[in-house]
Amino acid sequence: MVAAVLLVFGAIKLPLELELTAEHRAAFFHGARLNLSLRQQIGQAGFLAALGGFRALVADGLWIQAHIDWTRTEWGKMLFLFNNVTALEPRNVMFWDMSAWHMAYNASAAAINDPTEPYLAVRMRRQHEYFMIGRDLLVRGVQNNPDKYKLYESLATVDRDKLEDHCDAAVEFKKAGSFPDSPDYNRRFAAYELAHCPGHEMEAYKELVRLYNMGVNERLPTVYKELKDLQEELNIPEAQRIKIPESELPKHKIPP
Amino acid sequence: MTAISIKNLSKVFPIPFRRERITAVRHLSLDVEPGQVYGLLGPNGSGKSTTMKIVLGLVSPSAGQTEIFGRDSREVESREEVGFLPENPYFYKFLTGEETLHFYGKICGLKGAKLKERTSELLNLVGLEHARDRRLGGYSKGMLQRVGLAQALIQQPRLLVLDEPTAGVDPAGSREIRDLILDFKKRGITVLLCSHLLSQVQEICDRIGILHQGKLVREGRLDELISIESQTEIILENATPDVLAQVHALLSKSGARVISERKPQTTLENFFLEVTNPPKN
Amino acid sequence: MHESTLPARETPSLPPTPRHVFFSPSRIWAIATNTQLELYRLKVFYFLLIFALLIIGSSAFMIDFTFQEQFQLIKDVSLGAMSIFTWLLAVLATAMLLPKDIEDRTLYTILAKPVPRFEYLIGKLLGVLLMLLVSTLLMSVIFVIALYGREQMAIGDTMRAASAMMPGQLQSQLNDIKESTFTWSLIPGIILIYIKAALFASLTLFISTFASSWIFTIMVSVACYFIGHLQGVARDYWLGNGFGSPAASPLARIFLALVALIFPDLQLFNLVDDIVAGNSIKMELFAKTAALGGLYTCIYLLVAYFVFASKEL
Repeated sequence: MVAAVLLVFGAIKLPLELELTAEHRAAFFHGARLNLSLRQQIGQAGFLAALGGFRALVADGLWIQAHIDWTRTEWGKMLFLFNNVTALEPRNVMFWDMSAWHMAYNASAAAINDPTEPYLAVRMRRQHEYFMIGRDLLVRGVQNNPDKYKLYESLATVDRDKLEDHCDAAVEFKKAGSFPDSPDYNRRFAAYELAHCPGHEMEAYKELVRLYNMGVNERLPTVYKELKDLQEELNIPEAQRIKIPESELPKHKIPP
Repeated sequence: MTAISIKNLSKVFPIPFRRERITAVRHLSLDVEPGQVYGLLGPNGSGKSTTMKIVLGLVSPSAGQTEIFGRDSREVESREEVGFLPENPYFYKFLTGEETLHFYGKICGLKGAKLKERTSELLNLVGLEHARDRRLGGYSKGMLQRVGLAQALIQQPRLLVLDEPTAGVDPAGSREIRDLILDFKKRGITVLLCSHLLSQVQEICDRIGILHQGKLVREGRLDELISIESQTEIILENATPDVLAQVHALLSKSGARVISERKPQTTLENFFLEVTNPPKN
Repeated sequence: MHESTLPARETPSLPPTPRHVFFSPSRIWAIATNTQLELYRLKVFYFLLIFALLIIGSSAFMIDFTFQEQFQLIKDVSLGAMSIFTWLLAVLATAMLLPKDIEDRTLYTILAKPVPRFEYLIGKLLGVLLMLLVSTLLMSVIFVIALYGREQMAIGDTMRAASAMMPGQLQSQLNDIKESTFTWSLIPGIILIYIKAALFASLTLFISTFASSWIFTIMVSVACYFIGHLQGVARDYWLGNGFGSPAASPLARIFLALVALIFPDLQLFNLVDDIVAGNSIKMELFAKTAALGGLYTCIYLLVAYFVFASKEL
């Protein structure tokens, strides 16, 4: 009798569970697709705990370990841990963001300043490798979190500051700026980067004019500067140019 | 209407993982009339507890039927009229005497002022007024049995079923419990009693039934069953040797024979109680 | 025949036979409150002390981290602890209920009253569920206080560094702090932690109706905990969702089918991790998940009743 009830109920609840699981996945819950290779990496107890619903705690434990490794500048171990942490918690933006920061900024700086490597070319190559590792983390982060602006912004920043890829940066800033909760500056940064992407100057100019026309909040020194530069570069007719007062231009040199 | 009616009751327990079965009760039939104190006796394993549990609906019969005041024991409503005191009960140690009775009263449907009143009444009746606020964990065995009696009575049942009510209780407590049972009888409450303490059963029961290996082997009024028909007991006070000689002379002329002559004894129990708890006056 | 030594009193006539009430919420409530009292006096609340210490302790050694990391750690540790403790409380408290009543023979005194067996079971389970509710609320309060304390510290630190910030940056940082601490979106996650514990209380009650000892009950419950978390994987493997072709051998298929049908998918109730990471749950999805949990709780209670109703006591 008991077995009958359980099996009948089982047959009823099975489609409900399948539907709920699908809905949960669509809403990005239970992101970790736990598989055997992860198990090998974390070890049996951790695997069980991860399955027991304590993914977050296991991830946090690994994260703390990565923090300790950072104080010892063990970049290789850190990367290994970062990959596991983000595999366990792919919907945690902070993990992706900080992992990428450690690689693209801290590890790369350590590489270029490595006193044990005499050849500059080798140091530069390693630095570039770390840039790319950081970038790759952000790309994967964005794939797992396409609904959040933060990682697009961080990706754009790495492209702009480290890889000097203004075209990709422009696209990524624009994507970041398209989210309703994104800070305003992402829209402006998209326009600035577009201005430095060869072949897109006119597009950039139109965007900057649009920003300018939005009002005094958007009329920041860099906007003025970029407008001024583009107006000259594109030979915009005098009558159509926006008047740029000298006092509004930035006082310090803006890095290209 | 009988208080308890047992008709052709049988109970067989299967043994897990084996072919054999245990027959605890075989074709038992007996009736308990209202207002009686009925003693159900028998050695260990004779089926007393099983019979009691079937009457109370805790175990289901394999065959036959049991009824309480005309209602089938398997129905929950038959237990509106029954109070049960199991063997060696513990109750909830963390509750006080008062809280225990409140709990049982609530599950019998009593509430509010009526419940409080009934609780006080029963605590008084069983002599636990002084311990009403003490947790049951601090009660002696005798006190536990008395609180057990009180909870059995909480909903004013017409029938009480008591399993070894004086087992492990000291003589004074045991005396009090037996006095209570006699008091219940005066109130018209029917009592079904199981006990190994045969001398105590002899004191308070009207009828007894003896079970052996699941069968009812003897049953009937206590005084009829145990009186030695052919003998008569006369106890004399202040009889001088002269009078005794005359009695002996009269008897020798008749067909009667003197079997024994001695000073009657008080019971060890009465002697103990007098020594440990002399009467107040 | 011995005469009673009690003072003679009038023999009152016995009251008329009371009418039996088939279903009585007050009977159930009496058993539930009694069960609750029993559980509190079993010092089950010492568990909560450990929990509180865990939270406070965990936030003490994390000064090196950014405030976002600190908040995340507090939340993950606290909610993880809440999850495990409520589950543990549910299993341990329930596993002892029936065996204790049977051993102490109190079960006989209760069932010898006009109390139907289903009311007894419902009352016992309700008592456990109420205790779990109080425990969850208490733990939540401690958790919120710990978060609030840390939040105030973080705000204080940020305000002190305000002069060195760009316009808008202060506000942005304060917003970040507010978003990292307690948000109302955590509440559905906590409710699902409670529902998972309730499900386990009901399941443990069912197991205890046929188990031979309470240790056996606990072991089986713990096994169900792990199997339940793997149920989703077993189900997908059986049906071939995302695993390429479904499992080949018929024996494996039957085994997986049984696991998928009998055990609950516990992963569905683990949503706090994702909520902490910033994913809030829609009301509709939460309601459906909660309803499924409630359904499981009722079904396990039902099968517990089937076993208990025919149990020879």
